[in-house]
Amino acid sequence: MKVRYLAAGLLVAMLAVAASTASGGTSRSHATKIVVWLQNDAQNGWPEAVALANRNFKAQHPDVDVDVQYQSWGTHLTKFDAALAGGDAPDVIEMGNTEMTKYMAAGAFKSLTQSAFPNSATWLQGLKGSCQFNGKLYGVPYYAGARAVIYRTDQYKAAGIKSAPKSLAQFMVDGQKLMKKYGKDGNYSAVYFPGKYWYYAMSFVYDYGSQIAIRKGGKWKGTLNTPRALAALNQVKRVMKLSRASKTGDEANPQQALVFAKGKVGSFVGNGWEWPYALDTKVGNPALDGKMNAYPMPSHLRGKFMPTFLGGSDLAIPVTTKNQGLAADWIKAFTSTASESEIAKAGNIANTTKLLSFNASNPKLAPFARAAKYSWFVPTSPNWTNVENANVLQNMLVKIATGRASVRAAATSASNQITRILNTGA
Amino acid sequence: MASVAESGVTPASRRRRFSRRRVGQAAAPYVLLTPAAAVIGLVLAYPLYLLVKMSFEKYGLFELIRHKGRWIGTANYASIFHDGEFWHVVLRTLVFTIVCVSLTMVLGTAIALLLLQVSRWVRIALTTGLVLVWAVPVIVAVNIWRWMVDYQFGVANWTLTKLHLGDFARHDWFANPWTGFGVFTLLIVWGAIPFVTITVYAGLAQVPHELLEAAAIDGARPWAIFREVTLPLLKPIFVILTSLSIIWDFQVFQQIWVMLDARPSSDYYTMAIYAFHQSFQISEYGLGAAIAVVMVLFMFMATLIYLRQMLRTGEVN
Amino acid sequence: MSSVTQIAPTPVAPAVTRPRSRKRLRKAGWNVLGLIVLAVMVFPVYWMVSTAFKPGHDILSYTPQWIPTHPVLSNFTDAIHQQFFWNAVKNSLIVTTVVVVLSLVLAFLAALALAKFSFYGRKPFIVVILGVQMVPLAALIIPLYILMSRVHQVDKLSGVIVMYLTFVLPFAVWTLRGFLLGVPKELEESAMVDGATRFGAFVRILLPLLGPGLVATSIFAFIQAWNEFIIAYVFLHTPEKQTLMVWLASFTTLRGTDWGPLMAGATLCSLPVIVFFVLVQRKIAFGLTAGAVKG
Repeated sequence: MKVRYLAAGLLVAMLAVAASTASGGTSRSHATKIVVWLQNDAQNGWPEAVALANRNFKAQHPDVDVDVQYQSWGTHLTKFDAALAGGDAPDVIEMGNTEMTKYMAAGAFKSLTQSAFPNSATWLQGLKGSCQFNGKLYGVPYYAGARAVIYRTDQYKAAGIKSAPKSLAQFMVDGQKLMKKYGKDGNYSAVYFPGKYWYYAMSFVYDYGSQIAIRKGGKWKGTLNTPRALAALNQVKRVMKLSRASKTGDEANPQQALVFAKGKVGSFVGNGWEWPYALDTKVGNPALDGKMNAYPMPSHLRGKFMPTFLGGSDLAIPVTTKNQGLAADWIKAFTSTASESEIAKAGNIANTTKLLSFNASNPKLAPFARAAKYSWFVPTSPNWTNVENANVLQNMLVKIATGRASVRAAATSASNQITRILNTGA
Repeated sequence: MASVAESGVTPASRRRRFSRRRVGQAAAPYVLLTPAAAVIGLVLAYPLYLLVKMSFEKYGLFELIRHKGRWIGTANYASIFHDGEFWHVVLRTLVFTIVCVSLTMVLGTAIALLLLQVSRWVRIALTTGLVLVWAVPVIVAVNIWRWMVDYQFGVANWTLTKLHLGDFARHDWFANPWTGFGVFTLLIVWGAIPFVTITVYAGLAQVPHELLEAAAIDGARPWAIFREVTLPLLKPIFVILTSLSIIWDFQVFQQIWVMLDARPSSDYYTMAIYAFHQSFQISEYGLGAAIAVVMVLFMFMATLIYLRQMLRTGEVN
Repeated sequence: MSSVTQIAPTPVAPAVTRPRSRKRLRKAGWNVLGLIVLAVMVFPVYWMVSTAFKPGHDILSYTPQWIPTHPVLSNFTDAIHQQFFWNAVKNSLIVTTVVVVLSLVLAFLAALALAKFSFYGRKPFIVVILGVQMVPLAALIIPLYILMSRVHQVDKLSGVIVMYLTFVLPFAVWTLRGFLLGVPKELEESAMVDGATRFGAFVRILLPLLGPGLVATSIFAFIQAWNEFIIAYVFLHTPEKQTLMVWLASFTTLRGTDWGPLMAGATLCSLPVIVFFVLVQRKIAFGLTAGAVKG
């Protein structure tokens, strides 16, 4: 008996010690601290921007602490949902721009006054659209990424390609020249194009004048099996023939810039940060410096660019916050021109067209800034995230890439699925 | 050996001690159980109640923010059972579980037996190696395996080609769900073997030396000794390990999820992925709760056989 | 490990002695098999460790590099210098130690009750223990969060400890019960005839015999607590409170995964488990020699 009680007591004591040494914060909410959830890209990518924002915020509110907590992309929405359910969501949260609509529709964010935020008159249209719902503003654009063709200048020269292609047709001809010169190596790709790379593939659909879905009379309808979209997808299939990348893989696993750095890739379609990443001293190949350049992907119409997917993030204020004013002030500090300049320096597109010129003056960022001017975005339906989560587009592309279904059959099946999912609960 | 007479109790004190002992005896199991039961009960009672309640409600993001679900009766369950895909997923999960559990138990036990046959240093090396395998976080293990079977950079393709077992250059293991699940089976069995081996080995180590020696002196052959003496003593452990393996393998999620970059095609849906995809990914937590309840019921039925055996062997007379 | 029992001890009768060379050959054969099994099982782990020593640009390679040609330590230094590493180590150690100790004690007591007593509520409790393990964790996250939030256990190590306990206990009770059932009743009974109380018999006879079972359970509890991710990620908010698994996740950003430091970090994370195992592994072969009833 005694031994048991002693043991139990000892253990309870240990537990109490552990718990008390570990729990630092109080659970009462004073306006002495705001919590900010940023993705971990900022942690390693542009910590100066965060530091700058915190300094300016502190100058404005000396008695308020800022706790920036970094999240991972894969599971951050589960954590956010749990926090919302428990009533202790952060005061500011970074959301992917394709994730915004669903949460805006559910009333997760406080509505904001556009004019209160820096550079709001010149916000990138592509990002601003993702922050608006039913005529109100629920988020602030944070940063974006635009894709362009990154290529090996030496390989182009050796294959007899004199200048960057001005049309899709020329792009294809150039691709074939590269394959003729280097394609004997079974691992070589003139254009590295993994099967699930839908950001690039859908650009063709928008370039040919179609879209993923349209809204007619209050209902959504998938349009991937319309004639123009089919023409685009058939073209995508032809481009895929210039690639030896995995037909069932995507562009992040393995990271395409790193595959490019291995030397058996002529070109790939990547974000601004992927160029320096290929040259990274640790994981890339610094020897390629001087042998690389980039150009916006040409349209099938000569002299024009193909629209690029404007991926990016927005900052929002969850509706559960008790510090709306402070949260807004922090966002203002973080999206100030100075802070956004730091973000742009890291290879991103800042949230305002004012800073596009900053990118334009840097030869490594200029092509992406040019490409960013022509962009497309996903259908702004609250159910769009469900389409992404159901892998509708990826599955369609894999079927096309592997030849398991005809382009028409794959596109029709995808279109029907999109129509069904986007209209759920409507 | 002490004789009973030495307890030296008078009739009066014996009666007193008997009744106190009896009460103590009756209360003992409850006292022993309380701490564990309290922890489990306090932590899980309310969430389980919420889970079941949510399974009868529409509980999406909208409801979640307002902390209130909308009652819709059995609509969630109806939509599950009417989904044609659901039954495919159930069948797939069942087959996958059976294959994984069988391989794990057979190989795990075989290696445990092997541990008894090898020299001391090999035994230490092997058990340490197994614990090393066990210690690797699942996410890391999956990523290692994914690399090993990578389309262009994987060791598997390169090795198989070099061994002239065919042309595996740029062989996509996940293009075909059969080969894909083959890879997953290997991965899961590989990760599950250490636990089974070490537990069975611990069980083997517990077999009384005297019994084994007695049987050997009686002239029994090694295999007979194993069958007649060791196996019956190990039976409870086997039953436990099998039932646990069934429960765990039925819920396999992370390996498939991470290996396929959080974007598995429907050919690869197991129950847990189906649940996640149908509900949590789209924040339909009510539907997710219903699927979880259905999963529990399925697992319950699957382990029912073992459950009944457990209760029978555990009888105290 | 010298007290490990052998299933097939050589018979004592002098007329039946096996030739020593054949016995040694068989032993060598088993050893070779054991080493092959070791090599096959450990290969992926070897790949993880060797990757940790490879410079970044050698990690992705068209022909696999079996042994790093230019091993570097930079991945390890990068990993350790990643923010909050030492905090994460401290938090993981606290959480895991408390969970292992508490789960062993509570599970042993509960397993005793289930294995050695017949009482009202025994069967329902067993059913509950089994049933609880069948509920998919993902489904429980939101309800658990709602509960923890109400009792102010969000962003606290104590909350995480209690949740881990809840998930480890059913297994631990289940397994220890199995080990208890495997102990021959004669030992217990003979101890009680010696005059020991029932509980005294438990502690003095069963506990030492349970050495192997306790070790297996403790390793399980250790690894469960050490390697758990989703609960730690969802319930621990401030970076200073986070555990090593959450810290490991910080190596994956939108820009893909930093493989070198991740593998280095993963290797570092695996070390404490090995240390723990080495410390307790001698107990697995404790066997009957200690605490056994002498006839």
